[in-house]
Amino acid sequence: MKKVSLLAAAVGTALAMTACAGGSTGAAPGDVNPTGAIKAREISWLLSRPANGSVITVMKGLADEYAATHPGFSLKFITTPDRPSYIQKLETLAAAKKLPEFFDTDATPYAQKLAKQGQMVDAEKLLKDIGLDQSYRPSALAYQRFDDGSLYLLPFEYGAEYFWYNKALFAKAGVEVPKTLDDFPAVCAALAKTGVTPIAMAGKEQWPLERWMAYQPFRLEGPAYVGKLKKGEAKFSDPAGATAAKWLGELGTSGCFQKGFSSVGYTDAQNLFTSGKAAIYNMGTWELGSLATDKLDAGVRNDVDFFTLPTVAGAKTADNDYVAPSGIGMAVNTRTYDPLVRDFLKFALTKYPQQYAASGALTPTTTDVTLPANATPLYSKAISTAEKVGDELAMPWDTQLDPTTNTRLQQELVLLVQGDVTPAEFISTMDTTLAQNAPKYFK
Amino acid sequence: MLPYRSRLSVVGFLLPPLLLFGGAVLLPIVQSVYLSLFSWDGITDREFVGLENYRHMVGGDPTFWTSFTNQLGYLAVCLVLQLGGALLVASLLLTITRGREVVKVLYLLPAVISTVAIGLLFQRIYSYDPVGLLNGVLDDLGLGSLSRPWLSDVHTVLAAVSAPEGWRFVGLYTIIVYAALLAVPRELEEAARLDGANAWQVFTKIRFPYIRPVWVTTTIMATTFALRGFDIPYLLTNGGPGQASELVTTYMYKTAFTSTNYGYASAMSVFIVLECLVAVGLISLLLNRKAVR
Repeated sequence: MKKVSLLAAAVGTALAMTACAGGSTGAAPGDVNPTGAIKAREISWLLSRPANGSVITVMKGLADEYAATHPGFSLKFITTPDRPSYIQKLETLAAAKKLPEFFDTDATPYAQKLAKQGQMVDAEKLLKDIGLDQSYRPSALAYQRFDDGSLYLLPFEYGAEYFWYNKALFAKAGVEVPKTLDDFPAVCAALAKTGVTPIAMAGKEQWPLERWMAYQPFRLEGPAYVGKLKKGEAKFSDPAGATAAKWLGELGTSGCFQKGFSSVGYTDAQNLFTSGKAAIYNMGTWELGSLATDKLDAGVRNDVDFFTLPTVAGAKTADNDYVAPSGIGMAVNTRTYDPLVRDFLKFALTKYPQQYAASGALTPTTTDVTLPANATPLYSKAISTAEKVGDELAMPWDTQLDPTTNTRLQQELVLLVQGDVTPAEFISTMDTTLAQNAPKYFK
Repeated sequence: MLPYRSRLSVVGFLLPPLLLFGGAVLLPIVQSVYLSLFSWDGITDREFVGLENYRHMVGGDPTFWTSFTNQLGYLAVCLVLQLGGALLVASLLLTITRGREVVKVLYLLPAVISTVAIGLLFQRIYSYDPVGLLNGVLDDLGLGSLSRPWLSDVHTVLAAVSAPEGWRFVGLYTIIVYAALLAVPRELEEAARLDGANAWQVFTKIRFPYIRPVWVTTTIMATTFALRGFDIPYLLTNGGPGQASELVTTYMYKTAFTSTNYGYASAMSVFIVLECLVAVGLISLLLNRKAVR
């Protein structure tokens, strides 16, 4: 019985600490240049990025460089790359008011609550104060902004999401690149007939399939639809949502995604494409190292190309408007903000873009990318296409909807595509969930 | 036994574990009950809502009842595999004379493997593309028509996430039941056999009544473990597809840490405590009453 009670008490235990959460000192969100001397100490960054990825490697180097002139300074990286585990950690620490100097979060409604509580430094003012506001791509900052246009998160990455495809498999099936989203079902059916998986889908990750829900509404209505939907001011049964549901149902019946996709993870899905077993793979430029260098299997290397989000008849967004995320953002904690944190940020953010671009990745600033030595010609094509992304951002819905609606949407999408529910049932379930949760979350 | 035991020494030895139990188990339960009366997202002010969370749980949340039904299915699979399997294996162990220790160790092995490793293992076993062990064996046996993505099919996923948990602890319960069976006096069994009792009668009239107290304990252990089952379903499917493998525990976790609805999640945790207490009560009542009879 002891253990029974232990589990049941899990939530209570995690939250018990909130009772002893201390009061706040520290700066106001807009007080970006606090007075006082710079006193070196250890500061921490709670983050959700790959432990040996370029962001951490570059920032580690910069922290060491800063420590050389500021003895006693160090930057501790506490990384949890698995996003759901990370979010749990973030929320528990936020509830206990124990967040460190820097912490990662997307521009979610939850993060907006934290900002409204005065727990995050105003990033717009901060960038202006340290003289870097003009160096960032407007779209990279736009991705980090909340609904009201306010900016509390700093981007460290930038990328565009493309539809990578295998030209040889397309030729074998006798299909062309889809010109409109509505061409997908026919393209999938033809590809499936040749025995390949038309679209490699990492269903276990959930966000990749949720992107597909966003495409039709983005083309039909622009970003406005999800902006209204999240607050309960629009419905899934509205034309944009209903079109998306019907389309996803068709993608399912046309056999677009591999059987059992809902339990397939990120790497397995990518392997399907890179091994030539799948014809299309919808992924961002952060995978350029795997898709456009000599690391890619020689058997498919010359067959890989990409196209951008197809349009629809009567589209409200331009062809070059699509998903171009600047990754999870970093917030600066007001409670621990002091002259040292500001000084380090100024130092690191000034030098970061150059060093990050040297790794071959796109930066959130307008810095030129250094192509890696083993890049294929596709690499530079992908980079130059990303430079021409339009002004309207297709925001991923998982950063927009309230968490309960979002979870339910991710679950129902799988059922819709698998044919376990009809588009009408999907819409009805989602509208009920939305009505129950959205208004109270955004009140 | 000591001739004299001071009251102070009894208190001295009992107090630390009691304090630990109170602080680590009872206190959080009381806190959960308290939190369940509020609506709270962890960052803004708590709002007292009385019994609203319980009302929503009972009357306004179909997902909760889906997950409760799933939890019962999960419980059934776990109990059949763990207790049925344990009894079967322990009985067979009694009949073999060589290699008994090796078999016991092999059966116990899964209980000591980390849950994450088991999750990854079964992810591969159930895999459809690339073909995993289960679908591969079905193909080899000419039963290819039965092969399917076990974790994506809403009809098979609940059994698929329950089986690893059942399999995992068969060895543990086998050892417990085996130890109990060893204690059954051989002369009683021999006397019964001389009187013409068959193997089934020996089992039902002598062996099982003899091991009943141990059986009650193992049933309570297995039931409460299964009612708290969380990790393997969470790792394998995260409750999906849809809510086909959502358990009360995974739903509670998501409600707390994804939806940041701590009040409602606490109400669910209180429900789990209550359902475990009811289960323990029922098992004790049923099995002990039979024993008295």
